[in-house]
Amino acid sequence: MLLNNLKIAWRSILKNKLFSLINVIGLSIGLCSALVIGAIIYFDFSFDTFHKDKDRIYRVTSLFKSEGDEFPNRGVAVPLMRTFREGIPGVELTAPFMNTSFSKIENKKQDLLFKDGNDAILADDAYFQLFDYEWLAGDKQTALSEPAQVVLSQKKAEKYFPHKNMTDIVGSTLLYNDSINVKVTGVVADFEKNTDLKFNEFMSLSSAKMFNGKDIATNDRWNGTSSGDQLFLRVKDESSVAGIQSRLDALAKEHKNPATWAANDERLFQLQALSDIHFGGEHEDYPFNNSDHVASMKVLKSLAFVALFLLLLGCANFINLNSAQALTRAKEIGIRKTLGSSKKQVVRQFLGETVILTTMATMLSLLMAPFLLRQFADFLPQGIDLSVLYSVKGIIGIVILVVLVSLLSGFYPAFVLSKFRPATVLKGQFTKGDKGVRLRKTLTVFQFVVAQVFVIATLLVAKQLHFVMNSDMGINTETVAYVRTPWRDASKVKKERLFFQIKDIEGLSNVSKGGAPPASNSMSSTMLSYFKDGNETHQPTEILMGDTTYLKTYGIPLLAGRERMNDSIDEYVVNETFARAIGFQDPKEVVGTVVKLDTLQIPIVGLMRDFNQRSLRSDIKPLAIKGHYNGMSFTNIHFDLGKNPEQWTKSIDAVEQALASVYPDEELEVQFMDEMVEGFYRSEKSTVQLLKWATGLAILISCMGLMGLVVYTTERRVKEIGVRKVLGANLAQLNLLLCKEFLILVGIAFAIAVPISWYLIQEWMQEFAYKTSLSWWVFMVSGVGMVVVALAVIGARTYRTANINPVESLRNE
Amino acid sequence: MLLQLNDIFKWVNSGGQRIFLLKDINLEVEEGEFISVMGPSGSGKSTLLNVIGMLDTFDEGEYNFLDESVHSLKEKHRSNLYKQYIGFVFQSYHLLDELTVKENLEMPLIYKKIKGSERKAMVADMLDRFNIVGKKDLFPAQLSGGQQQLVGVARALIANPKLILADEPTGNLNSTQGEEIMELFKQLNDEGVTIIQVTHSEKNAEYGSRIINLLDGRMV
Ligand SMILES: Nc1ncnc2c1ncn2[C@@H]1O[C@H](COP(=O)(O)OP(=O)(O)O)[C@@H](O)[C@H]1O
Ligand SMILES: [Mg+2]
Repeated sequence: MLLNNLKIAWRSILKNKLFSLINVIGLSIGLCSALVIGAIIYFDFSFDTFHKDKDRIYRVTSLFKSEGDEFPNRGVAVPLMRTFREGIPGVELTAPFMNTSFSKIENKKQDLLFKDGNDAILADDAYFQLFDYEWLAGDKQTALSEPAQVVLSQKKAEKYFPHKNMTDIVGSTLLYNDSINVKVTGVVADFEKNTDLKFNEFMSLSSAKMFNGKDIATNDRWNGTSSGDQLFLRVKDESSVAGIQSRLDALAKEHKNPATWAANDERLFQLQALSDIHFGGEHEDYPFNNSDHVASMKVLKSLAFVALFLLLLGCANFINLNSAQALTRAKEIGIRKTLGSSKKQVVRQFLGETVILTTMATMLSLLMAPFLLRQFADFLPQGIDLSVLYSVKGIIGIVILVVLVSLLSGFYPAFVLSKFRPATVLKGQFTKGDKGVRLRKTLTVFQFVVAQVFVIATLLVAKQLHFVMNSDMGINTETVAYVRTPWRDASKVKKERLFFQIKDIEGLSNVSKGGAPPASNSMSSTMLSYFKDGNETHQPTEILMGDTTYLKTYGIPLLAGRERMNDSIDEYVVNETFARAIGFQDPKEVVGTVVKLDTLQIPIVGLMRDFNQRSLRSDIKPLAIKGHYNGMSFTNIHFDLGKNPEQWTKSIDAVEQALASVYPDEELEVQFMDEMVEGFYRSEKSTVQLLKWATGLAILISCMGLMGLVVYTTERRVKEIGVRKVLGANLAQLNLLLCKEFLILVGIAFAIAVPISWYLIQEWMQEFAYKTSLSWWVFMVSGVGMVVVALAVIGARTYRTANINPVESLRNE
Repeated sequence: MLLQLNDIFKWVNSGGQRIFLLKDINLEVEEGEFISVMGPSGSGKSTLLNVIGMLDTFDEGEYNFLDESVHSLKEKHRSNLYKQYIGFVFQSYHLLDELTVKENLEMPLIYKKIKGSERKAMVADMLDRFNIVGKKDLFPAQLSGGQQQLVGVARALIANPKLILADEPTGNLNSTQGEEIMELFKQLNDEGVTIIQVTHSEKNAEYGSRIINLLDGRMV
């Protein structure tokens, strides 16, 4: 029976090739996006889910609140680690560790030198009690109990000690940073499952002092927080969390920053569950210092919505086409029923067809999935693949999806079909009063609303991106580049040598020394105090470091006052926003005032024009530029490549040669300002990319649905068209007649889509301080574009129908 | 003379074979004639009517309608020609289901680009003449078969054609209804309209002034 059903189902699929094709392709596009996006979402939810007692593992993080702003820090002050080590009720295990890096590692016996000592931490045995590594050699209990002990991951061990047994490695010695002899006490296997704990070198925490690190036992800086200082713990049970949190609150209060400028600031210690770390909490902070990816709940949610809508579009197609086709199959069902088929059997047959089509669509979507995934490769984290789809979990998921989609899209058509009464059907009276019309029109409108929203959103997001990328930030971003000297080699002599070499290069102008460029992601800020009318105000101020040519390099003009006298004098040039922030109506008047930094009195000698220090998401902040007093030296060299792009390659080659001659051991690159600015908007770029795809697919699916509906409707109206033709209608009139009802649907969809997309885009733009306008023409263009596309789809078919010779269509007598 | 067919052949090619639908048809129709076409099913009656109505083409021969030679006319001119001079009546009426009686009558006038006010007057005349004023706002499905065919004839007549082509106009009607339509045709013919009808009934054929018999596409 079942086999028979399937056989019949397969035949009727073949009989209606065009419909089946549209069905399968439309659905497979929807399914494909759902599968790919599902895999992406699964990937981000699969991080660090394999640890023993994972639900009881927490991390303490800091949150600083100042002037309404919040600054998260994934680390904590070191004395808090000590407090926890001494014992906090409810905490079963305290495992602090600190990010570190080594400049040089030597395996003297085999005469090997290594330089990439990143991904290293200072940890103690508690770390390995908390996170269950597989020990290939060494003793888990004592491996990190003494200073100068190190545990290596398997990969690292194989690198440091090539061709050696893991057990032989334990007991060997490595020489760190030229002078520190460290004993290897263990080798652990690298985690194979997805994890953010990508550390591969574990130095004992008690060695911190040897590496100029902070010593937990003695460090007393409650108000210094480094993001690499991690405090992990395992709670006794879920109920002890509240108690620990209130203890943390008390500690935060007790050790509040006593400095006067910090009077209104607040620091909170927060408990972060292990499962939240990959998502970076509310502030979407990276999991660890060496992480290159933080999963964004917001992004994942949008992705899920995109997948859901594309899938629904595919299903809508299915319902649409099948229930439309139902009428042309009415006769078949009438005959079946007179032959004794029950309603149930009819339903079963049509559901069977749906299952076959859905399964075919699934196969097709699995084939297409890798291609779709590749389109997103640019902004997906590394290591993501589709293997989960072929795992047991994935296959079960896909089967559930197939069943759900089959029921969702197959039930209504099957139900409609099964209700036909054979008598009316066979008498041919059925064609009148088509009950499914309204449902089909609604579904078509739904499809076009989704497609239209995607179109408008894509256009507006792209418009905003274009706007922010092309806005004048107030600095020269087109022709300026800079090089960063290596932080490990702080030699001033070398920097000077490099500076003069670059200065001599032909074609470069305004070569200057300084810190980070004026617009970047890294920014240091400080608190400046200012006395006015006997009141002291504290102004958080971003600090830029640069010599007296620096502003010229970046084309930032002085509006009043003068440049600082030299590179190391205690003088500030401030921006207009700073002047206004401390109360000057006319920013020019700020020149000549004196501000206080801690105990230092620093005169403001000049006023520079405002420019954007960051992406256009943020406003312009109060800013001051200073030289390199208090011993700090400039790290970067900035230069203007000039107006002649043909000269650039030559100049850049010369700069790179200079870099290579001064720092032969380092790989240094020229950084371009325009690339930096582009980097600000990477996430917007990926949003546009994603939207483009979603839009394309949505339009494709919707047009397929429309085409199916048009084919069906025109087929149904062939006779009517014949009559009208005989009565004298011409081609244009007939085409208009046929297109009209579809264009009305597209029009309704447009009217619904406009407010929805307007609202969504409005929400999305919230995070930008500088917004492009939501121009009406964007809506018009997308509306007209949609009509044109729809017309092309409709017209192709109606033209054919209108051209049919009435002799053909009316022949039935 | 209204129309003249000379040595008309029509065929289709099927499986390398030429199947003749019309063979050597010669026919002259004067204005005011009432012709009945008879013959067994499949003998080519509808095909002949379609050729005369310029809905279908032929492969050989000449066809002159009034002063025009139809065989050398472009499609567009041909359709203008039949729009102006020919009205069609079908066996299964072919009224537009979603339009009312009045709107159905109006349709050919719209396609002939006749002005609104004039259209209204012409429709009112026709409703009056066929005694269906009371039905003007009903949809075809609300009428009996005979009434539907009445509307069908009215629609064919509304643009004042010189020639009415009716393919088994009474085929779907009972005998009383059929008789009514025939009486109507007779009356129209008396008023000067040329009529060519296909019929299976000897009795209905008698209404005509001439009978043409077809067999396998040939006039006998
Ligand atoms: N386009 C066509 N292709 C093949 N055969 C056709 C075509 N049109 C008509 N015929 C055949 O020509 C014959 C005459 O048809 P028709 O004129 O409809 O006969 P009737 O006299 O019953 O109205 C029939 O056998 C029909 O099957
Ligand atoms: Mg016939």
